[in-house]
Amino acid sequence: MATTKRHHLVVRITHWVNALALTIMVGSGLRIFNAYPAFARKGESFCCYPFEGTKIPDWLTFGGWLAGARHWHFAAMWLLVANGLVYLGFIYLHGEWRDLVPRRGVVRDAWEMVKFYLALRRDHPHQGKHNALQRTAYFAMPWVGVAAVVSGLAIWKPVQLAPLTHLLGGFVWARYLHFLAMLALVVLTAGHVFMVFAVDPYALRAMVTGRYNEARSPELRNARPFVNLRARPGVEASSPVAAAESAAEAPPSGPKPPAPPVSEPPRES
Amino acid sequence: MSKLWLPRHAAERLDVDRRSFLQAGLGAGALAALTLAGCNSQGPKSAQGLLAAAERWNEKVERALFRHRAMNVAPAGATLAGASFPSYFISADLPVWDEGARGAWRLEVGGLVQRPAQLTLGELMALPRTELRLEHFCVEGWSAVAVRAGVPLAELARRAGLLPEARYVDFQSFDDAYHESWDLDSALHPQTLIVYGQDGRLLEPAFGAPARVYSPVKLGYKNTKYLTRILFLAEKSGGYWSDQGYAWYGGV
Repeated sequence: MATTKRHHLVVRITHWVNALALTIMVGSGLRIFNAYPAFARKGESFCCYPFEGTKIPDWLTFGGWLAGARHWHFAAMWLLVANGLVYLGFIYLHGEWRDLVPRRGVVRDAWEMVKFYLALRRDHPHQGKHNALQRTAYFAMPWVGVAAVVSGLAIWKPVQLAPLTHLLGGFVWARYLHFLAMLALVVLTAGHVFMVFAVDPYALRAMVTGRYNEARSPELRNARPFVNLRARPGVEASSPVAAAESAAEAPPSGPKPPAPPVSEPPRES
Repeated sequence: MSKLWLPRHAAERLDVDRRSFLQAGLGAGALAALTLAGCNSQGPKSAQGLLAAAERWNEKVERALFRHRAMNVAPAGATLAGASFPSYFISADLPVWDEGARGAWRLEVGGLVQRPAQLTLGELMALPRTELRLEHFCVEGWSAVAVRAGVPLAELARRAGLLPEARYVDFQSFDDAYHESWDLDSALHPQTLIVYGQDGRLLEPAFGAPARVYSPVKLGYKNTKYLTRILFLAEKSGGYWSDQGYAWYGGV
């Protein structure tokens, strides 16, 4: 079957290094948090965290003990930042950022996707390499990452980088922001991983080998979470959209796919 | 079942392929199991060398970031922690200097100095006094505000006359064998004080009486309480928590 190149090697490597670095950062960060699982300055209360004093379950943490977790945290932070810079530098120079920045109409497009996932719309919207929800998530990820790094610097060096800590509202608020940024990264990642397994498992192969079979895209499978996970054999040949797309994307030397039956309606039964 | 809650067109298309779903599920399960296996452990042994290298690198970065001009200022609206300020010591009981058994308490300033000294509390308190309202940062992640009164260590060092070989300082105590050694730059920061007063009163035994080192440029565990000796050295000499695996530099 015809596959197309979807992810550059640099994107694939930085993706998996980021997954590793984020896992270490979140796990060790939660272990550090457990040494004082609250935000209030001593002698004060804190307005905005309902679970003051409640520890994160040990099995979600990494590093074994406070000092161990700190060593992991302050080592993996360099990996996270260096890897993030390589990724951002690459997509800037290589032009991939164009696939990720929100375009005009992103809100409308995102709403169409939501309607489709809620089964308020029959057919999967065609919105390019990434749909509007993906674009928004993948665009937000680096920004939340920057927020995590900046707030992290502010609580690592609240004296040597005092103006930065002050800018974020002081040590207590900077620490809270750091926690919120972590939470946002976890939510984005969890949503991303869920959608990969529930909607487009073929994307997993694309992020490993770089190759993607467009005929199995969620658009052509009309896939919602856990719906139409499998690409049915008839779909590739009978769908004019699939045929047209694979013809357009296939290398010119490859055999032409059979001409689509024009009389048939585009939707598969 | 899906027909009950999905519109007809969606139900028609409902086609979850069991095999690929199971495969994906198994893959996810294996990944989760691997993650769990590594959880709440200190990570692979082979990584320990890498972590040690990262700590050495971080110490270089922290020393490069260090500025004597960088100051800690407690937020204006912050409340003094007072009695809520956590108190730590490593002895079985609260360390209190017993004059009857040990004679008058004296602070020794020695090591690589021209004029070693033994200061009584009275002599220490007669030196130029600095009082600062500071936010304290603990390695555990909490912070607390207190007013610290004492003598800048830079002043003591100036009086003792540092020898050029002095690069480190060891702060020793009568709280069992508690001590922590520092880099000289942090020790000579203008906010590094030999503290004998807190929140307008003499230092209480719970907080390190009769005197302790206090600096907001170091994490709490670097700030030795129940001070007996300040030793200027040419080499690092570790510390109570540093020797147990906490970062030696512990800068803020």
